[in-house]
Amino acid sequence: MIVRPVHVTDLPALLALVRQAGPGFTTLPANEDRLAHRLRWAQRTFAEQVERADADYLFVLEDDDQQVVGVSALTGAVGLREPWYNYRVGLTVSSSPDLGIQRQIPTLFLNNEMTGQSEICSLFLRPDQRQGSNGRLLSLSRLLFVAEFAHLFGEKLIAELRGSADEQGCSPFWDSLGRHFFKMDFSHADHLSGLGSKAFIAELMPRQPLYTCLLTEQAQAVIGKAHPNTEPAMKILTAEGFTHKGYIDIFDAGPVIEAPLSKIRTVRDSQALMLSIGTPDEQAPVWLIHNRRLENCRITAAPARRVGNSLIVDRLTAKRLQLQPGNSVRAVPLLNQQQQAVAA
Amino acid sequence: MLVLRPVELTDLPQLQRLARESLVGVTSLPDDTERLRERILDSCASFAKDVQGHGPENYFFVLEDLTNQHLAGCSEILATAGFDEPFYSLRNRHFTSASRELNIEHGVPALSLCHDLSGHTLLRGFHVDAALVRTPSSELLSRARLMFIAAHAQRFAEAVITEIVGYSDDEGGSPFWDALGKHFFDLPYAEAERLCGLESRTFLAELMPQYPIYVPMLPQAAQDCIGRIHPDGQEAFDILEREGFETNSYVDLFDGGPTLYARLANIRSIAQSQTGTATPGDVIDARGRYLVSNDSLKDYRAIVADLDYTAGHPVFLNTEMCTALNVSEGSPIRLIAL
Repeated sequence: MIVRPVHVTDLPALLALVRQAGPGFTTLPANEDRLAHRLRWAQRTFAEQVERADADYLFVLEDDDQQVVGVSALTGAVGLREPWYNYRVGLTVSSSPDLGIQRQIPTLFLNNEMTGQSEICSLFLRPDQRQGSNGRLLSLSRLLFVAEFAHLFGEKLIAELRGSADEQGCSPFWDSLGRHFFKMDFSHADHLSGLGSKAFIAELMPRQPLYTCLLTEQAQAVIGKAHPNTEPAMKILTAEGFTHKGYIDIFDAGPVIEAPLSKIRTVRDSQALMLSIGTPDEQAPVWLIHNRRLENCRITAAPARRVGNSLIVDRLTAKRLQLQPGNSVRAVPLLNQQQQAVAA
Repeated sequence: MLVLRPVELTDLPQLQRLARESLVGVTSLPDDTERLRERILDSCASFAKDVQGHGPENYFFVLEDLTNQHLAGCSEILATAGFDEPFYSLRNRHFTSASRELNIEHGVPALSLCHDLSGHTLLRGFHVDAALVRTPSSELLSRARLMFIAAHAQRFAEAVITEIVGYSDDEGGSPFWDALGKHFFDLPYAEAERLCGLESRTFLAELMPQYPIYVPMLPQAAQDCIGRIHPDGQEAFDILEREGFETNSYVDLFDGGPTLYARLANIRSIAQSQTGTATPGDVIDARGRYLVSNDSLKDYRAIVADLDYTAGHPVFLNTEMCTALNVSEGSPIRLIAL
């Protein structure tokens, strides 16, 4: 398995993948024209032909038979072309010492505070491939890419996790809040948002802070709660140092998790090593390895052994990375120490 | 005969009875002897004060049955709402959401805390014995205040407002309060109203929602209370509406009850009341029923009387009327058809 930049010729494979993902996967619409556009754009991004504000790094996970089985994305910056909105869950205190009243009321503040940060998004792995290191490779390869090319990204990486919704795709948060301002159901609004019409949010959402006590109980209960389907993704990212600091999606109240680049394990612990071909012993831990290239980026996960400044991998791994012995790689153990201990 | 007159300290015991009987939500009437005594003294001082412009004065009136000295009701005029402490209301306005891209435009109503009604004269504390509801006496109790304003306009603002008690159920629960105020106050509705009458309303300031409340987010039962009148408040509303008062976009903070507003020039009992002089005599052919007042200040009196009156002619008042109004030959009087 390797992660590489998407290519326009991946369109049919990607379209099939997105259709399989279903309507909840809104950031990659199953629309051929739009998807083709996004692919061309991603290709230009990897060729460094677009500004950071427009950069859209779209990666695919490909097996050794050149089958595309997963997709994930990374943007240069959010909110620099059109406003990027989140709610921050703040607090209002209603207090009268004389009357012995002290009420703490969580309050939602509309904000653009994530402007300029880079977003990881659009991750989908074919269900039959959800095994081994695949999920982690698809997700973390973006972080390793950021480690190598930090100058192309913001100070933080953020990820908007899908919020709670029922089986019909209805969001209790939307039903209690957004619906009143958009007069449309959640899947339609979410669809529009996925098509890139996020600006309409700015024009229709209430500008003033909102007291959560006025939302329905169901809506209050899902604030900052991720959809159960996103739990694996969330686990991977929180192990990397991502935390929830109270920002949520304005549609479905899903959590926005974030981490400064310097606090992300993959970024912080990754190092430049010299590739060497050999036989890593059978107990060797799996490493995430990047060939340090941008347009011809290749990232894979493979057992490897570090000896001094060298990283010893087998021949197939070097081939997957399109590297020769002596080339430089950026690498980091796939699991953090705690996870390694558990795995052992 | 029932006569409306300024309250006196000797009225205290009876006033407390009225306070007890009055509807929850008539917040200006606390069932508390000390507070009521202060209110009476404050009113006496207001009537006695030489006033050039409207200030913090509060004029407190009672309706007395002259045959047995029973007090059958009371009402007040606060010269200036929000003079000593902020006067809060909720403004109900549409926020327009529009998106050119999506071709969507719609208004979303939102309630915002405001002081917009500060500075107006406020009618309040209207309470009448159940037996007198929808009789000329309750008209007298309400409208004699307007005739008082007509006689002493320099003591009042250019516009008059009043808050009508909003809907609450038989158990005293207010759906509006339960959906809004309760979150911020953590008190039952009746208790909040009681505190309001007892303490100053300013204590509320610290507890109020400072950001707009979007109406569609409230439960339907609470939305239905916005501008809805308590059945027992309907008469107070009807009397003033006939006087030319109109509802506006302001509602009560606690129960969502409507606010009525009118400029002095548009109030019937002010703009259309006639002045004349009293002429003691028998009323031979009473053809109409009138509210009659003596235009005094400290000795203000008003009654309901059946008269034979033609504009521009002397106003004949019988002995009982003259006594009730405390007028004699040539005293200025004011009257308007009931």
